[in-house]
Amino acid sequence: MFIHNFKYALKTLFRNKMLIFWTFAFPIILGTFFNMAFSDIEKSEKLDIIDIAIVETDEFKNNEIFKESFKELSNKKNKDRLFNTKYVEESEAKELLKSNKITGYLLLKDTPKVVVTTSGINETILKYVTEEIKQTEKIVENLAQSEIKKEVEKKNYNIDYDQIYNKVLEITKDSDANIKNITSHNLSYTMIEFYTLIAMACLYGGILGMVAINQNLANMSSNGKRVSVAPTSKGKLILSSVLASYITQLIGIFLLFIYTIFALKVDYGNNLALVILLATVGSFAGLSLGVAVACLFKANDNVKTGIVISITMFGCFLSGMMGITMKYIIDKNIPIINKLNPANMITDGFYSLYYYDTLDRFYFNVVSLLIFAFLMIAISMFSLRRQKYDSI
Amino acid sequence: MTVFRTFLKVLNKCKTPIIMYTVFLIFFGGFNIQTSDNSTNFTASKPDILIINKDCEKGITKNLIHYIEKNSNIIDIENKEEKINDALFYRDVNYIIYIPDHFREDFLNHKNPKIEVKSTGDYQASLAEMMLERYMKIANTYNKNLSSEKKIIKNIDDTLSKQAKVEITSKLDTDHLEKATFYYNFTNYCLLAGCIYVICLILSSFKNEHIQKRTIISSMNYKEYNRKLLLSNSLFSIVLWLFYVLLSFILLGNIMFTLHGLIYIINSFVFTLCALTLAFLLGNLVSNKNAINGIVNVIALGSSFLCGAFVPMEYLPNSVLTIAHILPSYWFIKTNELLKTIESFNLETIKPIILNMAVIVIFTIIFVVITNIISSKKRKIN
Repeated sequence: MFIHNFKYALKTLFRNKMLIFWTFAFPIILGTFFNMAFSDIEKSEKLDIIDIAIVETDEFKNNEIFKESFKELSNKKNKDRLFNTKYVEESEAKELLKSNKITGYLLLKDTPKVVVTTSGINETILKYVTEEIKQTEKIVENLAQSEIKKEVEKKNYNIDYDQIYNKVLEITKDSDANIKNITSHNLSYTMIEFYTLIAMACLYGGILGMVAINQNLANMSSNGKRVSVAPTSKGKLILSSVLASYITQLIGIFLLFIYTIFALKVDYGNNLALVILLATVGSFAGLSLGVAVACLFKANDNVKTGIVISITMFGCFLSGMMGITMKYIIDKNIPIINKLNPANMITDGFYSLYYYDTLDRFYFNVVSLLIFAFLMIAISMFSLRRQKYDSI
Repeated sequence: MTVFRTFLKVLNKCKTPIIMYTVFLIFFGGFNIQTSDNSTNFTASKPDILIINKDCEKGITKNLIHYIEKNSNIIDIENKEEKINDALFYRDVNYIIYIPDHFREDFLNHKNPKIEVKSTGDYQASLAEMMLERYMKIANTYNKNLSSEKKIIKNIDDTLSKQAKVEITSKLDTDHLEKATFYYNFTNYCLLAGCIYVICLILSSFKNEHIQKRTIISSMNYKEYNRKLLLSNSLFSIVLWLFYVLLSFILLGNIMFTLHGLIYIINSFVFTLCALTLAFLLGNLVSNKNAINGIVNVIALGSSFLCGAFVPMEYLPNSVLTIAHILPSYWFIKTNELLKTIESFNLETIKPIILNMAVIVIFTIIFVVITNIISSKKRKIN
């Protein structure tokens, strides 16, 4: 009987087009949209080469430090290249700026002046570099002065300026800061979007469980009435239906994983076994949510689907699907909400696998999901037991 | 009147999704539209930096922290490695500087102490790194030449005080315009989803077999019935549009009273008509109520993601934008983006805007034509 019911539950689920759309196709479609929209976001946040112009004033032509510095910073072979520089007349620079071909231009008279259209990051960088060069000029000046002073103090009035110049250059060399970057490599925050997508798919799977349960409830469908009067144990029937929907759900998640990994190149970290563990546990949590909704609410299929979808979408919203910062805001300010939110447990589990080296946070999430799932199942069992109908 | 009254009755039933889309709009719109004072003075971008100082705050260490503080937004985060890492991942901070123990001592002993950093690797982080590198370079230089810490600090401050003059040429209120563009880009989703969902649902209610039979035998002329249905639907779309326009006045304020604002409004009106005809087409194609939800999400979300309603156009890959040309939303959003950059309106600047609107109108006409073809074919079968 178990296998018989299992087989037919599986068949009914797969033949329900709406169900298959929401649990199989919709996450894949949404994932494709995410990929199209977000694939370039992080790339464009990296520093690009900035188009600028320099007005060729006499002061600029005579100023070695400025001339050489900008030449070096615009050098195509330099790996730290910052600028793509055009050397032009002032009128032309204005024209270029007006037509948005350059970020800004440098006008070197007595003091350097940067002309830009708005405030912004590229503009700020141009300003910074200009200042840095000006400051280098100042350093050389200060150093030369203090060297000359030292010579004077030594009562050496016969100053060799070439020697001082070389000495100053020597000092300014090898003064680079000793900075070591210790950032983890996995910093791609758009991954969170895809993790919420998996979370959504896991929880949407609850609809499958819900439909399967409804097939067995006498007050829900005529099919349920027929099943209820059959001389078979309820436990067996419900267990086989739920198992069928769990397997359907896992197939859906598996397809989604294949798609996101191979087509969308989503990075789930290196530990595949743990990814699978999280996905199975997450689906289980989704299933239990669906079962609980099916048992607790006395309403028709559509309303129950609506409830599962709203819970899922709200959970995903809090875990960052509609804006990644949302997850952070909740995590930072009201962490208890996301600790209770199954969508976030799944998202956060993937995030900790991806970003953290340690697994504490990951296991915390897995255990939370299991607790959530068993709680839901306990509630459902409680409400399903000893149901009797005098009339329906 | 009967048709219109029925229309209102059905409309009343689907108010929940409309309220939901509107709440989304207000929430996301309001979230991003906290108006700040706009100025035409140059304001340097300030990266968000977190400094973890393991040294005591004295002498050169104090001066370094002071300098970074002056040129960045210092973010306060609980000093726990996990919290700090989370903050970095979600870009709450762009750059984290760990000042090592004995930094000051090592520095003064010419050891060039190692500073560990964590960086998000984006623009802001690069700027922060430039800042730190510059400071250390200047400090190291003076350190070689001068003996006392006081003198070094004085020289550093003296050098860093040399600044460049910045002149801003544009007098455009970019801050407010950007917000207006964001808002109207977002209405792309709300208008599309709202129109398609409601109109499809209403049309499918009217297409119910029993209701259709009842309508056909009624005394009302078939054409009149159709016209009234179309009119009620357009009325609904226009009310929806008006509502979002009103909302924009509340959320965006003064910028809406300018010529820019007027064009935002006209543009969204043209797009609303397009959304209406698209919804009508879909309503004629689909009769299954359950399928409507899926279609709404795929079409509204799809064109919003592809055309840059959620993620600004400049961040989208070129290949996606090329595909987006076949969607009306692209032209709607393109106008919004253009408006952001136009300083004064003349024939030359307004030409691309009119062109974009013309494309949307063409889409509208195409949708109407297809709807007519389909409905006439369906009538023949009946």
